[in-house]
Amino acid sequence: MADNRFRFLESKFEDAEVSRPSLTYWQDAWRRLKKHKPAMFGVVVIAIIVFFGVFGPMLSKYSYSDQNNDFKNLPPRLEIFTVADGINLHLSEDYNMFLVSDKGEILKRLDQNKKKKDVVNKLYYYVIDDATGEEVILDFSYNLLKDKQGYDYDFTIEHKGVVFKYPTGKVFNKTNIFGTDDLGRDILTRVMYGARISLLVAVIATVVNLLIGVVYGSVSGYEGGKVDEAMMRVVDIINSIPLMLYVILLMVWIPKSDGLGNIIIALSSVYWVSMARLVRGQMLSLKEQEFVLAARVIGVPKIKIIFRHLIPNAMGPIIVSMTMMIPTAVFTEAFLSFVGLGVSAPQASWGTLANNALPGLITYPYQLFFPALAIAITMLAFNFLGDGLRDALDPRLRKG
Amino acid sequence: MGSISYYVRRVVSSLLTIVLIATVTFLMMHSIPGGPFSREKAVPAEILKSLNEKYNLDAPLHEQYVDYMYRLFIKFDFGPSFSIIGTSVNQLIDSGKDASLKIGLYASIVIILLGIPLGIISALKQNKPIDYAVMFMATLGVTIPSFVVATLIIYFFAGKLGWIPTFGLEDPRGYIGPVVALAGYSLSFVSRLTRSSMLEVLRQDYIRTARANGISEFKVIAKHAVKNALIPVVTYIGPMIAALLTGSFVVEKIFAIPGMGRYFVVSVGNRDYTTIMGMTILYSAFYIVTILLVDIAYGFIDPRIRLGKE
Amino acid sequence: MSKILEVKNLNTSFFTHLGEVKAVRGNTFSLEKGDILGIVGESGSGKSVTALSIMGLIEHPGRIVSGEVVFNGEVISTKSNKEMSSIRGSEISMIFQDPMTSLNPVFTIENLMMEVIMRHQKVSKSKAREIAIEKLRMVGIPEPEKRIKSYPHEFSGGMRQRAMIATALSCNPKLLIADEPTTALDVTIQAQILEILRKLATEIDTSIMIITHDLGVIAETCKNLIVMYGGMIMEKGTVDEIFHSPQHPYTLGLMNSVPKLHQKEKSRLIPIPGSPPDLMNPPKGCPFSPRCPYAMSICREEMAPAYRIGPTHTSACWMLHQDAPQTEVFKKGCEVDAG
Repeated sequence: MADNRFRFLESKFEDAEVSRPSLTYWQDAWRRLKKHKPAMFGVVVIAIIVFFGVFGPMLSKYSYSDQNNDFKNLPPRLEIFTVADGINLHLSEDYNMFLVSDKGEILKRLDQNKKKKDVVNKLYYYVIDDATGEEVILDFSYNLLKDKQGYDYDFTIEHKGVVFKYPTGKVFNKTNIFGTDDLGRDILTRVMYGARISLLVAVIATVVNLLIGVVYGSVSGYEGGKVDEAMMRVVDIINSIPLMLYVILLMVWIPKSDGLGNIIIALSSVYWVSMARLVRGQMLSLKEQEFVLAARVIGVPKIKIIFRHLIPNAMGPIIVSMTMMIPTAVFTEAFLSFVGLGVSAPQASWGTLANNALPGLITYPYQLFFPALAIAITMLAFNFLGDGLRDALDPRLRKG
Repeated sequence: MGSISYYVRRVVSSLLTIVLIATVTFLMMHSIPGGPFSREKAVPAEILKSLNEKYNLDAPLHEQYVDYMYRLFIKFDFGPSFSIIGTSVNQLIDSGKDASLKIGLYASIVIILLGIPLGIISALKQNKPIDYAVMFMATLGVTIPSFVVATLIIYFFAGKLGWIPTFGLEDPRGYIGPVVALAGYSLSFVSRLTRSSMLEVLRQDYIRTARANGISEFKVIAKHAVKNALIPVVTYIGPMIAALLTGSFVVEKIFAIPGMGRYFVVSVGNRDYTTIMGMTILYSAFYIVTILLVDIAYGFIDPRIRLGKE
Repeated sequence: MSKILEVKNLNTSFFTHLGEVKAVRGNTFSLEKGDILGIVGESGSGKSVTALSIMGLIEHPGRIVSGEVVFNGEVISTKSNKEMSSIRGSEISMIFQDPMTSLNPVFTIENLMMEVIMRHQKVSKSKAREIAIEKLRMVGIPEPEKRIKSYPHEFSGGMRQRAMIATALSCNPKLLIADEPTTALDVTIQAQILEILRKLATEIDTSIMIITHDLGVIAETCKNLIVMYGGMIMEKGTVDEIFHSPQHPYTLGLMNSVPKLHQKEKSRLIPIPGSPPDLMNPPKGCPFSPRCPYAMSICREEMAPAYRIGPTHTSACWMLHQDAPQTEVFKKGCEVDAG
C-alpha cells in the first residue's frame, strides 16, 4: 500500500558530470577561435591575400615590371562612345583614343592621322581601320569655349557625320581589371606583387622580432636580478625613443641595396622590444610555478627549462602579440615606402604603389585606391584575427 | 620622501637617455660614407667650410664629438644644413615648428575631447547601435593608414567638393584636413581603449560597492568608473601627444605644410645628414621630455604608483 | 519583535544567449529586527544572487522574475534604481567578499566614506569627516584621524574589510548584508571581523544577514540559519536546531564535510559526491537528488514542500513525508508548513 515513489533509488548517484571530451589547450583554443566569426573572416581574407601574393603574379599574363606606354593610365571602368556596331571608343585622361570591344577588352590604341590634325580648331583625326581608312574626329574646341558658351561637355566625337557629345556607356576594363599606372603597368599584377613584398617584409621582420624578443625576454625574466635589471634598462631606453625615427635613421645608415633587405633589417632591429617585455613578464610569473621547481630539482639544464617548459606555456600571449605585429610591420613598411625609403623600382610594395599614385591622385584616383584598399583589408583581417586569438588564447579571459 | 627621489631619478635618467641618443646618432652619421663628418664624398665646399669651422673635421673623432655635444647641449646649435646651403638646421626647425606644433596640438585636443567621450558612451551602450557605429568607425580608423586618409580627404573634400584647400595653412580651413588625417588613427585607438577599459572597470567589485552604498548612477560612472578607466588611456596618450606634436611627416608631406616633419622627410630624401641628425635628436628629446611630464601627471591619477615602486 | 526583512517567493533569473539561468527559485524567508541570519550554501547555490536581489543590484541580463522583497514594511523590489539608491547605503548596506578589490583604488578612504555620508545625510563636510573617523574607530582602526587619509592599497586586507564595514555602517543602516565577509581573510582576522559585526549589531541596532559557505562562521555568529542549494532553500531554522538535528540530506552532507574539533573518535571527512547542478537545465524535482544518498524516485519528479519540524525549523525533503522509509536521522511524518 505504501507509495512506490517513496523507495530509495537503486543507483543512487547519477553521473552528475556530463562527460565532455577533454580538450587540450590548443584544441580548446581552436574550438573557440572557430566560433569567433570576425577572426574566421580574418583567416579567410589572409589566406586569399597570401594566395594571390604567392601565385597571383604567376597566374597573371603581365609581369609587375612590364611597361606598355600605349596603355598607360587606363582606369578599371571605361567610359565608351559606341559610334557603330562593335566600334566602341574610349578617350583616356591622357587624351589617347582606344578601341574597346563590347566586352570591355582594349583592342588597340588608335593612331592619329597627323596630316589632318587641325591645331587651330583643335580637331584630331584617329584611324579606326588602316585598310578602309575609317576615321573618327575628336573635336576639342569645346574645351576652350566651355566657360564662355555654357557647354557641359569638353569634346565631341564625330564618326561618319554623327556627332557624339556624351559617352554612350560604361564597361569594365577586361584587359587590366584594376587599370594601369603611369607607365602602363597592370595595377592588379602590381598589387598582387606588392602583397608578396609587403607580406614578406612583415613576416620576416615579425619572425626576427619574435626570435630576438623571445630569447631576450626569457633570458632576462628567467635570470632575474642584476642581469634582468641591466637587460631591461636597455629595453627601457629603446622604448623611450620614437621608434619610427630610428627605423628611418637605420634606413639612411645601412648601405643602400635594393631596399628590401634594409627595410627588414630596420624593422627587425627595434620592434622586438615589446615582445621582449611581454615574454619577460610571462617568464617572471611562470618561473615561480611548481613544475619549474620540479624540473630544476631533477637537474634539467637551464636552457631546456626555458625552451621546453617555459616558452611553450607562454605561447598564447606570444602568438596574439605576433598576430598584431604583422599588420604593424605592413603599416610601417607602407609608411617608409611612402616617405621614399621603400623598396626600389621596379619592385613595388603597397606603400610604394600608394606613393607613386600620389601625384596623379586627382586624375587617376584608382591608382591609389587599390593598394590602399589592400593595406586596409590586410590590417582589418589581422586585427580581427588578433582579437579572436586573444579571446581564444588569453587564459585571463577563460571562464571557470 | 620616496617620491621626490623617484622623480629626480626619472629626470636624470631621461637626460642620460637623450645624451645617449645624441651619441648613437652622432656615431651612426659619422660612420656613413659621405656623412657630415667624413670627407670621403663630395660635399659642397661651403658646407665643408662651415662644418670645418664648427666641428674641426680634421680633428680626431672624440674632439669632433665633444664639439658637437657642446654645441648641441650648451648652445642648442644643430649646425648647418647639409643640402640647403647657407641655412642652419636651427633655422629649418624654427621655420617649421609652429605649423607642426599647431597641427599636433589640435589633433591631440580632438582626440582627447572626442575619443574619450566616444569610448565611454560606447561602453555604457554596449551592444547597442551607437556602440556598433562608434566601434565600426574606430575599426576603420585603426586599419586605414594615415596617408590614405589624407589622400582621400584631398580627393573628396579638397578636389571634388572644394570645401577645404588642397594644401597649406593660409586658410584656417586648411587645418581641417591635416588634423583629421593625423588624429584618425589615435582617435580610433583611444576610443577603443577607453571603451574596453571602461567595460573592464564597470565589472570591478568596487563599482558594485559604490552602487551598494547608494551612490547615484551618474556619480558611479563619472567619478568612480571614469577615473579608473582613464589610467590605461593616459598611459597611451602620453607618448601619443609626443608623437603627434613631432611626427606628422606624412601628413605634412601630403598637405604640403611647411612643418618640421616635411623638412625631415625632405632631408631623408636629400640625405641631408646634419638635418636628419638634428631632427632625430630634437624629436627624441621632445618625445622623452613629454613622456616624463606625462609620467609625473600619471602619479596624480593613480595613487598606487606614487610611491615610485614601479 | 517585528520583521525587518521579508522575502516572498523570490525568483531571479539571468537571461543569457544560451538560455535562462534560474539562479534563485521561489525563496521565502524573513529576518527579525536585531537578528543575525546566516545563509549557507556552496558557490552557485544562489545565496549571493538572493542578496543582490534584495539590494536591487541585479544587473543585466539578470532580473527579478517574480516575488517581492519587503523591507521595514515597505515593498522595495518594485522600486526604481533611483529610489533604491537612496535606500542603499543608508537603510540597507552591503559588504563584499574581497576587500582587496571592493574598494576603489584611486580614492582615499576619507573621500570614499565622506561621499557616502554626504549622499545620505544632510551634514557639513567637517561633520561628515567626524562621523567617518568615529566609525573607523568603532571598527578598530588605530589612529583613524591619520589613517583616513590613506588609499586602500596602503591598508592590509583586514584593515580594508574594516574600512568597508565602517563605510557600510556610516549611516547606521537597519540591515547589513555581508556577502562572504571573511572568506578572503586570514583565520585570525576572520574572528576579529566577525566579532566586530556581532558587536556592531547590538551597538547600533543593525540586523545582519551573513552569506557564507563556512559553517564555522555561522556557528560563531548567527542565530538563525538558511541552507540553500541549487537556488532553493533546503532547510531553515535556528542555528541550534539545525546543528543539533539537521533534517535535510544536504545539510547533513555539509556538516560531515567539515572537520570538527571536539570529535572523540577519529572519523573521516565525508565529501558530498558530484558537483552542483547546472542552473541552465536544473534537474527535475529536487536539485540535490542527483547527489543525495537518500534519493527516492519521487525526488526526481517533484520538489518536496517545506515540512515543519519545530516552531522555527523547516526542511524541504521528502524523507520527512510519512510514506518515506524510516531512518535514524529524519523525523518522518511531519506536517507541511503552511507558509
